Amino acid sequence: MLWLLRRLGTSLLLMWVVASIVFLALHVVPGDPAEVLLSTGGTSPDPYAVAELRTRLGLDLPLHVQYGAFLAGLARGDLGVSLVDDYPVAEEIMLRLPRTLELILAGSLIAVLVGLPAGTYAAVRHGSGFDRGAGATAAVLQSVPVFVLGTLLILLFAQTLRWMPAGGYVPASESLLRHLVLLLLPALAVGKGLAAVVYRMTRASVLDALSRDHVRTARAKGLTPRRVLARHVVRNALSPVATVLGLHMGALLGGTVLVEYVFNWPGLSTPLLRAVEARDYPMVVGIILTVSALFLLINLAMDFLYAALDPRILRS
Amino acid sequence: MRRLLWPGAVVAVIVLVAVLAPLLPLHDPVVQDVGNRLARWLPDSPLGRDEFGRDVLSRLIWGARASLTVAFVASLIAAVAGTALGLLGGWFRGLPEFLAIRGADVLLCFPPILLALLVVTLMGPGTGTLIFVLAILYLPGFIRVAYAEVLSARAQDYVEAVRALGAPTGRILLRTVLPNIAGPVLVQLSLAVAAAVVLESGLSFLGLGVVPPTPSWGQMIRGARATMEQAPTLLLWPCVTLTVTILAMNLLCDALRDALDPRGAAPPRRLLDRVLPGLLPPTAPALLEVRGLTVEIATPAGVIRPVEDLSFSVAAGRTLAIVGESGSGKSMAALAVMGLLPPAARVASGSVWFEGGELLRAPEPARRRLRGGAMAMVFQDPMSSLNPVYRIGAQVTEAIAAHRTPARDEAVSLLSRVGIADPARRARAWPHELSGGMRQRVMIAMAIANRPRLLIADEPTTALDVTVQAAILDLLADLRREGGMGMVLITHSLGVVAEVGDEVAVMYAAQIVERGSVAEVFSRPRHPYTSALLAAVPDGEREAEGIPGTVPRPDSWPPGCRFAPRCTHARAICDTPPPLEVVDGREIRCLRWREIAA
Repeated sequence: MLWLLRRLGTSLLLMWVVASIVFLALHVVPGDPAEVLLSTGGTSPDPYAVAELRTRLGLDLPLHVQYGAFLAGLARGDLGVSLVDDYPVAEEIMLRLPRTLELILAGSLIAVLVGLPAGTYAAVRHGSGFDRGAGATAAVLQSVPVFVLGTLLILLFAQTLRWMPAGGYVPASESLLRHLVLLLLPALAVGKGLAAVVYRMTRASVLDALSRDHVRTARAKGLTPRRVLARHVVRNALSPVATVLGLHMGALLGGTVLVEYVFNWPGLSTPLLRAVEARDYPMVVGIILTVSALFLLINLAMDFLYAALDPRILRS
Repeated sequence: MRRLLWPGAVVAVIVLVAVLAPLLPLHDPVVQDVGNRLARWLPDSPLGRDEFGRDVLSRLIWGARASLTVAFVASLIAAVAGTALGLLGGWFRGLPEFLAIRGADVLLCFPPILLALLVVTLMGPGTGTLIFVLAILYLPGFIRVAYAEVLSARAQDYVEAVRALGAPTGRILLRTVLPNIAGPVLVQLSLAVAAAVVLESGLSFLGLGVVPPTPSWGQMIRGARATMEQAPTLLLWPCVTLTVTILAMNLLCDALRDALDPRGAAPPRRLLDRVLPGLLPPTAPALLEVRGLTVEIATPAGVIRPVEDLSFSVAAGRTLAIVGESGSGKSMAALAVMGLLPPAARVASGSVWFEGGELLRAPEPARRRLRGGAMAMVFQDPMSSLNPVYRIGAQVTEAIAAHRTPARDEAVSLLSRVGIADPARRARAWPHELSGGMRQRVMIAMAIANRPRLLIADEPTTALDVTVQAAILDLLADLRREGGMGMVLITHSLGVVAEVGDEVAVMYAAQIVERGSVAEVFSRPRHPYTSALLAAVPDGEREAEGIPGTVPRPDSWPPGCRFAPRCTHARAICDTPPPLEVVDGREIRCLRWREIAA
């Protein structure tokens, strides 16, 4: 239990550090922050606009007061308002976040459903044609950038075969079937890299587990090969896979930003990219903090999963 | 090294073309020609023109230049800064260490593309911003690699030696540590360049990276998406170029990492046990009869034989002790009998008869039904032989369930049978919560779960405390008496043999050198090796005499008698291989045993 609490504490501490860095970033950039945000190319911005922005962002106040207000807002779940349309950032995020989460979840699910069986089979049939073919496929999948794969999927399935629309979003409440059809291609694109990683890790981990003493014990009991594999090899091979899954969540979240853009999926990336272009700082900060929190949370969940898979961790 | 060739060549060509772009006879990549908009092919534009009539081939090549420049410069900055920070952190410890390592940890908390977007918001898009962002993103990787390498280098003798000579810190870092971390840093650099190309193209694709009109691959894909319906090939070219570049870079990284990894590639494993034809059945079937068993292992250096022409038999209710030093092939022989040889090993010849049936020739399902049923095995190391992720009771129950339906609480009664106190509570424990002796009792409980008629115990007490050893041996002897099972006990301890053995087979360098009843062999040893082993046991007043030297390795056995180099009785005749001689029920593999006995 102590381990869980300590792990939770570390995550909260990291979140605070991340928030502080994001807050300070605006002040570290050389020059007046308001001027920085308003400048476009070489022209210096309108002084009245700069003065107005300073007041809106509270940049006139002393730094520690700004910092205190920022942290207090975070604690209340108040992330400020958009500079573009005065819409509360937190509300915009709450509307978009579930859609992004759905995409991440669907992508991870595909990655595990494909990577785990393929990795196990490749390890058991070590050196076979399947092993070599799957290895090559994983290498290509790991190398092709998400937005390239997404674009190519659209080119193939929407443009050439005309099996499904090129992208978009239909709420599940409106039509579950169309919702899922539109989810399929983006989820494939999001999950592709993770699938390759899960495949590689599973294969290595199963190969390692196959040579362990306790697997020999299981065989000495006279268990069927299928049972030895399922209970004593794959089960034990799962914990390193869970760790790797957590490690690659960052790439997955990043990939989701690009995939949402490619498929017009109205998740967090739409307001994020709009805000980056408009230099809508509160919106960018809000979304980045949300996603970083999500990242830390997923890693925390993976650690708990890891502990559940390997009883030695909690007790040592 | 061959794996470096292809990806290396592809990367080299791409880099060369990008570097030579200004010298190549190409169109200007930014000049527009609306008349030839979306042209599929023109005599001077083999890949056609884009949506503004710009030459696609030229833009691909100039795009490579932009992408690779950004990626290389950013990775180089990250490599120099990160390595320096890691070196300082690892060398001085204290505050520099804290700042470098914790700083790297915090940077890794941000998903990379989001950190990039944050910086773009603050600095605006552009090549300078890109390089700055990418350098920051790949900094932690270099810090960690350099830090870890310095920590391990610090402890090494040569660095200690240079320090003792009073060399200044800076010079030690540069002259001795730096060359040693060059390999890992190089691998990290290649990884960073590949990752930077991916991220740069992604940001350019979003319109937040390289600023138009400078061409870049990400931007070309972004532009071609709009005209996907009219000109799909326009989309294909940059997609393929980008993917092939990254694939080649990733393969190069993998090959580079493997080439610099000192462990090298593992020999191929074979996971299917080979089944071999056996010989005629023995006339009077013993419980277990092993004839001419030879085990081979394929190693990168050639085939070795850890077990050679091994023959022995065990009757029901009797115990055969196989004794010998480490590396004599005892365990490998036991595993071959059970059909549990590691994947690299295989039975090359011989036969194994169990209750009148040949085992090596039997199909795997039949052998599996015997394992844990009629014949069971207890292994040497109870620490690793239990699965750490299941409770004790579940693992014992599983041993029963593999052969029949377990009765209620049968696992608990088995645990109490092997002398585990409070068995109901122990059944719910995890393996790591039990002591070594307790775990070995659990292993024995699993082995006897289905009342085996043959039990093979491979050094069952070696990993345990002396007091626990005696208890485990008593338990095995009790079980054998109660169940009338035959036992093969593998050990290197003559004390154990004297305590529980009926017959003893002495193994040396893959062969049996002497076999007979324990009483006979102990009172009148005939092989010099047996005598030497007995002399090595401390016995009352008499001082123990060690045997000089060690067992030769399987790849360097002496041509004649394998014990000759360590034997005090060796003569020139011992250069011919001695046969196994059978004399009044005993076996001896020595040419001079009669002379020595006389």
